[in-house]
Amino acid sequence: MTDTRPQDQPDEAMVDLLIKQVTEGLSPAEQRALDVLDSEVASAYSRDLERAAAAVMIAGSPTQQPLPAALAERVAQQAAAHFASPPKIGDSSKARAAVDAARTSAPSAPVRPVSRANRYGAYGWLAAAACLVLAIFAWQRSPSPPVVPVAQTPPPVIAPPVIAPPVIAPPVEKPPPPTPAEERAALLAKSDSLRIPLTSTKDPAAAGVTGDVVWDPATQRGFLHFTGLAANDPAVHQYQIWIFDAGRDKRYPVDGGVFDVPANTAEVVVPIRAELMVRKPAAFAVTVEKPGGVVVSGREHVVALGAIG
Amino acid sequence: MLQRIASGDAAAVRECIDQYGPLVWSIARRLSRTPSDAEDATQEIFLDIWRSAGRFDASQGSDKVFIAMIARRRLIDRLRKSSAEPPMDPVEALEVVAWADPGTASETSIEAEQAARALAELRPEQRQVLELGLLHGLSQSEIAARLGMPLGTVKSFMRRGLIKVREYMNVDAEGVSSER
Repeated sequence: MTDTRPQDQPDEAMVDLLIKQVTEGLSPAEQRALDVLDSEVASAYSRDLERAAAAVMIAGSPTQQPLPAALAERVAQQAAAHFASPPKIGDSSKARAAVDAARTSAPSAPVRPVSRANRYGAYGWLAAAACLVLAIFAWQRSPSPPVVPVAQTPPPVIAPPVIAPPVIAPPVEKPPPPTPAEERAALLAKSDSLRIPLTSTKDPAAAGVTGDVVWDPATQRGFLHFTGLAANDPAVHQYQIWIFDAGRDKRYPVDGGVFDVPANTAEVVVPIRAELMVRKPAAFAVTVEKPGGVVVSGREHVVALGAIG
Repeated sequence: MLQRIASGDAAAVRECIDQYGPLVWSIARRLSRTPSDAEDATQEIFLDIWRSAGRFDASQGSDKVFIAMIARRRLIDRLRKSSAEPPMDPVEALEVVAWADPGTASETSIEAEQAARALAELRPEQRQVLELGLLHGLSQSEIAARLGMPLGTVKSFMRRGLIKVREYMNVDAEGVSSER
């Protein structure tokens, strides 16, 4: 039988996949199947279907409840922080753009579902947390606890030296901004800031990692500070910070940003930028992820953990 | 508005929250499992909007549809990641969806009017499949189980329904183009 479809029309199998992608998301296997099909045709068709689904959603919501005032205020504050925050050290604009694109931009950007294995990934965290408890126990029993490595030679290196232009850059004369190390020291001096020791895991990249997290719940700012983390190639993978909030689902820690560790770096201070409000921080973790970071970590490579309490 | 947001215009950001907050909130509530999830989702959706505003192309649709697309994408992502459980809407809630009247939906957006006109041409059971899938976030398998309908039929209804809406939107868009 001859295929009489116009060349810009997807075949039936592709339409089925595209509709499933738009309505409920695809499994990894389905996504791979879609990836090998004609991406241009799929992309255009998917965009149309998404528009159609969005229009149906609007048509099915003729009356809408107002956004609760407190939530609207949080959204506004978050917007102000988003547009006003300087570029994140350790988070190249290119990498961030890649994350953004993966999350929201491309019409054909697949909704990456979490596999069943990911749902069980929580056990990985539990195992890592168990290691952490053991490590803390061992540390507490040690007659000479490790000294916080803040004064070493060579001097601290801020990782990595990637500076993106700020979104809003008013041309105001200002003194040079403090370095992350200075900001961390200032934050540490605040009476209500938290200091959480970081412990390495059994991951090869984590051998010998020591450090801490300083976090200020009031301003939602914090810094990761450590030595011993293996240098990474940003084209291959990046480190990503996660914040576990006791007020949220444990499976979805808050993204704290990605960063790099340059070669020959003895000590690193990385600003943490929480994408969402962290109401009750319970733990901090660092994972190894693909360049640009991920929305939800598979947690295959946890290199550092720090739990509160 | 989205172009102004992309350039960091604080007034446009506020305008967007005021104007589209209710839409995002109602979509988030529909496609979230708990009110707390809906709040988190709403914050994530607006972050996505701030990040994506620069990519808005007015020739591809209205602000409202762009924002609803971002909201749906984020919520589907969250639903997939959370579990196989359906969102918080109980079965009884299936009765309460009120579709916009095709005659008045243009007050909401031109695309909503096109969708409402397309939906009005569907058989009730086809419309119900779209409603469960798009407005309540049920998967095709869940719809089949809930309605006691073969999965193939659900797929077929979903496909025909969405294609019908798509055709209405494309036809109208082409009609507008040809008049220019």
